[in-house]
Amino acid sequence: MVRLIGTELKKQALRPRTWVALGFLAVVPIIIAVALKLNPPDLSRGREGARYFYLATQSGLFLPVAALRVMSGFFLVVVICMFAGDAVASEAGWGNLRYLLVRPVSRGRLLTAKLFVAAVFAVASTALVALSGLVAGVIAFGWDPITIPIPGLSQSTGDILGNLALAIVLITWGLAAIVAFAFMLSTMTDSSAGAIFGAVGLYIVSLILGQIDSLGSIRYGLPVQYYDAWSDLFASNKFTDDMWRSILLQVPYVIVFCGIAWWWFHRKDIKS
Amino acid sequence: MTETAVVAVRGLTKRYGRVQAVAGLDFDVLRGQVCGLLGPNGAGKTTALRMLVGLIRPTAGEARIFDRLVRPGVPELARVGTIIEHASFVPHLSGMRNLRLWWEAGGARWEDADLEGALAVAGLGDAIERRVKTYSQGMRQRLGLARVLLGRPELLLLDEPTNGLDPQEMRAVRELLRRLSDAGVTVLLSSHLLAEIEQICSHVVVMDKGQLVTTGTVRDLLAVSTSAYFEVDDVETARRVLAAATGVKRVTDESPGLSVELDGAQRSALVTALVNAGVAVETVTARHQLEDAFLGLVGRHTERHIGKGA
Ligand SMILES: Nc1ncnc2c1ncn2[C@@H]1O[C@H](COP(=O)(O)OP(=O)(O)O)[C@@H](O)[C@H]1O
Ligand SMILES: [Mg+2]
Repeated sequence: MVRLIGTELKKQALRPRTWVALGFLAVVPIIIAVALKLNPPDLSRGREGARYFYLATQSGLFLPVAALRVMSGFFLVVVICMFAGDAVASEAGWGNLRYLLVRPVSRGRLLTAKLFVAAVFAVASTALVALSGLVAGVIAFGWDPITIPIPGLSQSTGDILGNLALAIVLITWGLAAIVAFAFMLSTMTDSSAGAIFGAVGLYIVSLILGQIDSLGSIRYGLPVQYYDAWSDLFASNKFTDDMWRSILLQVPYVIVFCGIAWWWFHRKDIKS
Repeated sequence: MTETAVVAVRGLTKRYGRVQAVAGLDFDVLRGQVCGLLGPNGAGKTTALRMLVGLIRPTAGEARIFDRLVRPGVPELARVGTIIEHASFVPHLSGMRNLRLWWEAGGARWEDADLEGALAVAGLGDAIERRVKTYSQGMRQRLGLARVLLGRPELLLLDEPTNGLDPQEMRAVRELLRRLSDAGVTVLLSSHLLAEIEQICSHVVVMDKGQLVTTGTVRDLLAVSTSAYFEVDDVETARRVLAAATGVKRVTDESPGLSVELDGAQRSALVTALVNAGVAVETVTARHQLEDAFLGLVGRHTERHIGKGA
């Protein structure tokens, strides 16, 4: 199993597309840092979201927060869906899947290895945004702790770094349902683009449905309803109930989607 | 089933909706044989081979390798090397990296692979370090054979292995299969080309529309001359003369000539009869059983043009 995971990791890591996607995630926070340096935001004119940009200019430690705010809504979702949606479908698209399966390996093991690798790259993607933001922010704006006389906003360096680590986990796991869906689609199609778009589609539909008040309490079961809860870490410095909701809400989706993927892949005729 | 049957297929059936891709196929391949699975395009060869390695599930019947019922991932697959349709790879990795990752994905140690033997077969030279996406079809096919041989298989299941190869590469594959067979490897290879099967195989299974047509040794099926083909200047007269000759079972039109099913008649005697009747004979060809079995399926005319040249 370790060897199988190793081969899957190498395959993904040596793929040019992986580097393009990760490179993109790493560059955007740097661009943000440069833009803020050249053109510092004015808090008095700012919209709600501008607060993080302003804070980032006060302490570079906050730049990763601003970068995660910008990226987590869409680009990060696409990249993470890409890793999951590619997992099985791209092998099928290359015609290589049948060669992986004409061996004395169980389909379950292959699936597990692929899911594991997709998860590793998902975490790495989120962490990369934060890390790149942290480095760029510290270089541009230093690492002084924020001392604003508003409770919660004032965080020590240790607080901020701890919250960043938590935010990486919350953001990535907050997409677990979407990722599991991408993975499920990946076992069903030979087109990785189809699997990726399908999952991004589910994300967007969930966001839209979440805006419709007349849906009532159904909205609270949508997979990304509490996805943004992580940003409270940097407003209140507390682990809120919505964060717990976001975490727990993923569990049934992940079980169902991965269960279907498992079942489907085991009974699937490999015709590609 | 005899104890030496390396491949045993019984009532094997695969249905896709209304299409019967394979319909109640039966055959055995015994240890050491080089067996051809011969049939026109769409006969169900690929589907049958896929079932033999557990990629697709039979609708009915069973396939066994090394006396084990085939299921996805059965341990016996470690003793099998297979190419289904064309050889394909992870395109962004080099040939060498593909070999290694594929090998390790099976849980084996790279040191245990027969890399030297495999590389000799691939004959790719420095190109082995190039990305597979830059390879020609022939290079991929050779790399596919190399991958198959990494594990020193006892049984090779090859689906149209010479597809996409140039004549020189085809000859190399034939020689390779002969060498492997001499070393005791059992081979089942599919083809839609009679000439290829004649050149490579000791045994043959002819199939069409998912069903077995005939099976036996290539030598036996070639030894029996069962029909003859005539091209003459006056087809009408020739038909009458031939039909009236003794030892002729049936005369059928086969543009531009006539096909004559023999039942004891000598070809020379038929030629004499035609000439005596004033018919000029341009061509006479003997047909043996294998040709008859196979050509009857694909249409003789097309086979003469595309098959014999290969
Ligand atoms: N996945 C599939 N879905 C539907 N029909 C199929 C599928 N695969 C093969 N067939 C049909 O089954 C028959 C046999 O196909 P195949 O095994 O590829 O033949 P061969 O390899 O001898 O050319 C063909 O009629 C083909 O159209
Ligand atoms: Mg075929």
